[in-house]
Amino acid sequence: MTNDTPNKNDDKQDTQQGGSSLVQKIQQLGQANVAQAPDSNIHVLSIIGQVEGHVQLPPQNKTTKYEHLLPQLIAIEQNPKIEGLIILLNTVGGDVEAGLALSEMIASISKPTVSIVLGGGHSIGVPIAVASDYSYIAPTATMTIHPIRLTGLVIGVPQTFEYLDKMQDRVIDFVVSHSHIKEDKFKELMFAKGNLTRDIGTNVVGKDAVEYGLIDGIGGVKEAMQKVNELISQTGGQGEGVIQ
Amino acid sequence: MILYTPLSETDIFPTDEQTLVKRQCMTHQGKMCFVEQKGDGSYEMLQLLSTDPNDFLNGDFQPGTIIK
Repeated sequence: MTNDTPNKNDDKQDTQQGGSSLVQKIQQLGQANVAQAPDSNIHVLSIIGQVEGHVQLPPQNKTTKYEHLLPQLIAIEQNPKIEGLIILLNTVGGDVEAGLALSEMIASISKPTVSIVLGGGHSIGVPIAVASDYSYIAPTATMTIHPIRLTGLVIGVPQTFEYLDKMQDRVIDFVVSHSHIKEDKFKELMFAKGNLTRDIGTNVVGKDAVEYGLIDGIGGVKEAMQKVNELISQTGGQGEGVIQ
Repeated sequence: MILYTPLSETDIFPTDEQTLVKRQCMTHQGKMCFVEQKGDGSYEMLQLLSTDPNDFLNGDFQPGTIIK
């Protein structure tokens, strides 16, 4: 009897531990197991929430940290098994220089890149979306185009305005050179009055973004996967070349 | 309470430094993870930082998982 008791307790503990991890999974995901899939030659980079720059944002903000993404982009470029990249965007914008850094990195990747704007790709999300080889926008997704702003301590001298103006030009130049939108049209949308409540700019919805030439097409996951596979077949699948 | 100010909410009510200190990046099973340290010294997975879609199907990296 005395020998049996500790064993029974052990069994009980084991089942409790197994049960608790299952309960934990159900609590977090609402399911016990997640599906498994074969290795993918297409990687996914998600840009969500705010694009975080040099200042760490409070923990309640959902952020994308550029220092996390830049090494991942390098890894994607270097890994011969990765043949294509899909960029998922659902961002409210954020730090201009962090966003431009990401955009330039995406634009300079040699592998096929396709972006999808899902809920919103606002402000600095616009250059990130157009940085890819081909861009898609969901029919319900929107992109807010507006002039850049500055928060924090601002020194009230004319040079501050000049600095802001130059930063504005960097964003405009990038978007114009990586999409089919004309500079005049983009500036017109950016400085339009009466579209946004108490603000300057335009909220461009899916179909309009394509009409303006900002985004290449309307679509979602299916279209993006087809496009990236098409681009991979055009470049001849670098991954296979390295293995041979 | 209604505030009438051009400042952001966090400028008026700064967040607790401790919550930021507890959050950090670490490598778990060779993958980069964003975690929060719990009171007992274990870590709770907040976010998996990976571009491989299959990593997100791995049960060990689901958000909320406790890493000892």
